Amino acid sequence: LLLIFVLWNVPLAADTPSEAEQSAFSAVEQHVFVPRPPPVSRDHLLPPFLKKAPESIEDLKSIEAHVQDLLARVSPAVVAVRVGGSTGSGVVISKDGYVLCAAHVGAQPNRTVEFTFPDGTKASGKTLGANHAIDSGLLKIAGEGPWPYVEIGDLDRTQLGDWVLAVGHPGGFDRERSIVVRLGRVISLTPGTIRTDCTLIGGDSGGPLFDMHGHVIGIHSRIANSMAANFHVPIRAYVETWDRLAKGEHWDDSQRPAGQPYVGARGTDHPDGYRLERVDPTGPAYHAGLRVGDLVLKVNGEAISNHASFQEFTSSAKPGDELTVSIRRDGEELTVAITVAEAPRRRRGR
Amino acid sequence: MRQVQRTPIATPALQLLRHVFLLLLALAFFTQAAPAQPRIPRLAEDLFRSGSTTLQAFSPIAEAARHSVVELDIEGQRAALGTVVDSSGLVLTKLSEVKDGKLIARLPGGEEVAADLVASDTDNDVALVRVNSNALQPISWAGEAPAVGHWAVSPGLRTTPEAVGVISASPRKILHRRAMIGVSLDLNVSAPRVEAVTQGMGAAKAGLRSGDVILAVNEAPVNRRQDLIETLRQFREGEIVTLRVQRGEKDFETKVEMMEMKSEESESDSRGRATRLEGELSRRAEGFERALQHDSVLQPWHCGGPLLNLEGKAIGVNIARAGRVASYALPASLVKEIIERLQAQVPVSIDSSQ
Repeated sequence: LLLIFVLWNVPLAADTPSEAEQSAFSAVEQHVFVPRPPPVSRDHLLPPFLKKAPESIEDLKSIEAHVQDLLARVSPAVVAVRVGGSTGSGVVISKDGYVLCAAHVGAQPNRTVEFTFPDGTKASGKTLGANHAIDSGLLKIAGEGPWPYVEIGDLDRTQLGDWVLAVGHPGGFDRERSIVVRLGRVISLTPGTIRTDCTLIGGDSGGPLFDMHGHVIGIHSRIANSMAANFHVPIRAYVETWDRLAKGEHWDDSQRPAGQPYVGARGTDHPDGYRLERVDPTGPAYHAGLRVGDLVLKVNGEAISNHASFQEFTSSAKPGDELTVSIRRDGEELTVAITVAEAPRRRRGR
Repeated sequence: MRQVQRTPIATPALQLLRHVFLLLLALAFFTQAAPAQPRIPRLAEDLFRSGSTTLQAFSPIAEAARHSVVELDIEGQRAALGTVVDSSGLVLTKLSEVKDGKLIARLPGGEEVAADLVASDTDNDVALVRVNSNALQPISWAGEAPAVGHWAVSPGLRTTPEAVGVISASPRKILHRRAMIGVSLDLNVSAPRVEAVTQGMGAAKAGLRSGDVILAVNEAPVNRRQDLIETLRQFREGEIVTLRVQRGEKDFETKVEMMEMKSEESESDSRGRATRLEGELSRRAEGFERALQHDSVLQPWHCGGPLLNLEGKAIGVNIARAGRVASYALPASLVKEIIERLQAQVPVSIDSSQ
């Protein structure tokens, strides 16, 4: 399996709640809060954040000072989350205690959640809705509040290369350590995922990704082998389905044909690996440089011995993921990165 | 109600997804016309947080610090970096990486000189090594501890840093990974009675069986389950404990090795897999008095080298790559204490400058 869900001990099954459960829940839960990104402009970003890369120690110092300010503002709203036996992270986005999280942390509606704030303050609450296809989940703190919270960001203003801050409580709340901070950049943006080089680990799931305005633009979801393969649920996924999430709905629309991964290369078993026989000239494999006759030796560092082992990687990937493929061609070894695409619907009909 | 939710057309989100899908189809046609265009735009790798262009910005720091860093090799293999702590050639490094083998120090200028381990602190996995050179500059220590979110630069011998990152968490004690004898205890009795032994662990190798009651550890009596657990917690992997065991009417003593449970989950990624691709972890990555956590991607041989702030001052010494995201550095304040303790162990040498 290429993608490793960040939280290891959470069942990934998407249970649809019974109707009775759902209607009972909606009757109790009166939600008035609707998330809206506050207006900001990229002009407000400091000069180093608008450059291709920092150029001097001065640039680095200005990034450092800004990150300090942001952390002081946003840290109090980053919570550790415990649902049953599993732990994750989350972030409060309203005074009355709505908490963004990953779907696979809560897993089911109406479960009891224990929240721990960075200073050790505890609160309890419930899981609300989740879209298991995109891994967005919503939780709610039960108490009165007001709780420390952060604003959500606007992904329409997020660009490739934007600097981002990943925060969380990996491994659960640790009083001596508290939150863990990582700094990185946006590496790619697709409708379903933000990818960054902020290295995530187990228990980070559900934690927030902040832009340099200090607004949440993503929620930590999953990782793949590469250190630069850290995936976050885009904030848009929460905003667009807010009513459903707040009502406690659980759904999974991952079966849509457009979500199927497509690499565009097939081959046959070979004593030294897997020899490509067909490479779609419009597909990602071709774009990455793979050609008919190439002998695939490894995918993501793991040896490929036959069709099944190659297929395991290509079919378990999600569109937007990256596969690192090592091949031999004319006695030379090459490594290329394939960005997995979505399979057009007509390909599935065959 | 369920019907309505399941009808995709009913929700604006899915309508949007449909639009996105159509857009992707259109994009697919576009890329067909121009095959060189990647489908999903991606940031160039050199612009990543740890990419080569980004590292360039840090080069004044690495450049200034490289005469305070040495590389320690064993049999031609890089074993560790070392941080120069005085002008006579004393270098601080990571003990577990340099203790087995003949050391050669590679200096910033490229020359190779002999190096000898002269003092060690097993608690913090630190060693002092004497390098046969008087051209080395002692590192200069930062007066203030760094804050979470501050840049942290790991220089090597080159003019650009080996790694950069930010401070992820304040200094804290890093506990040893739990070593155990490998039994589960009967929860129905207060005495430490063995319910089952774990195959392959010390207790099984020593022949302990279900029903045995453990009376004492290294002659210290353990009357209750909790006593046993707390007593055993003080031992580390590889240590041998002598257990007094009661079996039926008889009691006897047996030696049991403390071992790490192989499948035990730890913060450093229980699956191990996520870290495999981009470098290994340090062999010794736990058990430090105090350590800073940063998010630099260190290789095990980067340990022993200094960790610098943007002023080029040392805020610590890298001591472990402990996980996918966690590198540890002993903070400067602790390193200075350790150096003082270790210098007392260093034999006074009258010919070290030759």
